[in-house]
Amino acid sequence: MKAHELMRRDLTAVDLDTPVTRVIYLMDQSGLTSLPVVDEEGRVVGIVSERDLIRAALPGYLDMLQSASFLPSVNQLARRLGEIAHEPIAKFMTREVVTVRPDDGDFHIADIMIRKGLKQIPVVDADGHLVGVVRRIDLLHRLKP
Amino acid sequence: MILTVTLNPTLDKFYWVDHLPLSLERVEEEIVIRALKSSTSAGGKGINVSIFLAAHGVDTVAMGFLAGHTGQIILRDLLSRDVTANFVWIEGESRTNVTILEQGKEYHPVRIHEEGPEVPHPAVDVFLRKYERMLARAGYVVLAGALPPGIPDDFYRTLVQSAKLRGVPTVLHTGGDPLVEAVQEGPYLVKPDVREELRFGDMPLRTEEEIIRAGRRAVECGVKACLISHHVTGDILITSDGVWELEAKVPLTTFKNLVGADDALVGGILVELTRGAALLDAVKYGMAAAVATAEVEEKLCLDKAAIERELDHVVIRPKGGG
Repeated sequence: MKAHELMRRDLTAVDLDTPVTRVIYLMDQSGLTSLPVVDEEGRVVGIVSERDLIRAALPGYLDMLQSASFLPSVNQLARRLGEIAHEPIAKFMTREVVTVRPDDGDFHIADIMIRKGLKQIPVVDADGHLVGVVRRIDLLHRLKP
Repeated sequence: MILTVTLNPTLDKFYWVDHLPLSLERVEEEIVIRALKSSTSAGGKGINVSIFLAAHGVDTVAMGFLAGHTGQIILRDLLSRDVTANFVWIEGESRTNVTILEQGKEYHPVRIHEEGPEVPHPAVDVFLRKYERMLARAGYVVLAGALPPGIPDDFYRTLVQSAKLRGVPTVLHTGGDPLVEAVQEGPYLVKPDVREELRFGDMPLRTEEEIIRAGRRAVECGVKACLISHHVTGDILITSDGVWELEAKVPLTTFKNLVGADDALVGGILVELTRGAALLDAVKYGMAAAVATAEVEEKLCLDKAAIERELDHVVIRPKGGG
């Protein structure tokens, strides 16, 4: 099965200057755990995940410790989120985006997802324009017996 | 790709009942009407066109504003029908429109339409950015349906202008002031929505002469073709090349649900235009799609064979003096 048969044809994406607070709102509304970031031409130039946002809101050392147990309280996280609420998402997104093409096969997509630990992958056309997203659940749903 | 814009999407809820009380003002405390069946689907004029196009294998992207739980249902339904969705999420709740169809009186449905959520200004800016991007990929743009609160009457005019600058032909399927405004920019095809008012701006659309006069005025503004409903089974097409009368020779008694017929008409025209058909042939196919849609209980007839069968019942005649 090809990516264009598997993908969710949802072009929900954010711009480079979309503020963090809007990104959180969109993730909540769309049910997506990450959102592609597109440039003025609509080409995918980054991706922002829940993890990127949490990382942005946490002190750097916690990422190294891989634990939030050193945080005195969740208030610190809330305060930091408040500080970056209106910052452009370009500051926090992941710039090395893994994408697939509409004609890429399911095995290739599954392999990338497993190797790179991705929950979803944007599907782009030859010009880099977003045409859909393949989520892990899309693969599981289509491949179930 | 065909881009459709539905600024005020809806969750269409249909109820079929065997009988509606003649009056709701009886002395009983409450009136219970049991539905024989019901159906729910994503709706709004542009969305209906997208659903029709996707079912015909035409690449289509639906745009507009969605909100809340109802917006999620609309999105999910669209995605399940292979329509690509590119919506702007706003606060509130997308509207639900209810249609009640009484057995034997399907031509006269009871409809309850919600207003829809107010669109805030920042969301309009986000939409316009997305729209400009999508224009670069679009072969046609369909601007259809009523405007939600917060959107100015000249918004479709702005969208036609942008599309024109990029050389993308537009199909305008709306009514009232938004229609009158946008016509000034000379969209490719205009299909006035006359469900609520038989008018095109200050021009009435009751008689054949009035329809032709209004159509000609639209053509003078640069509109390539204007298609106006004359009666349930007849439309009049006005272009700079002439005037044609379209008639579907089918008995009204075969009609089961007229709600999506106009949208199937627009969808059918676009299916044929993207296949390279001439405008008259495309309009004929659109009319067949509208008739086939009116003859099924579902909002849209997506059965190509049924549409093909209706082609034999559609007659196009040039009108004298055109």
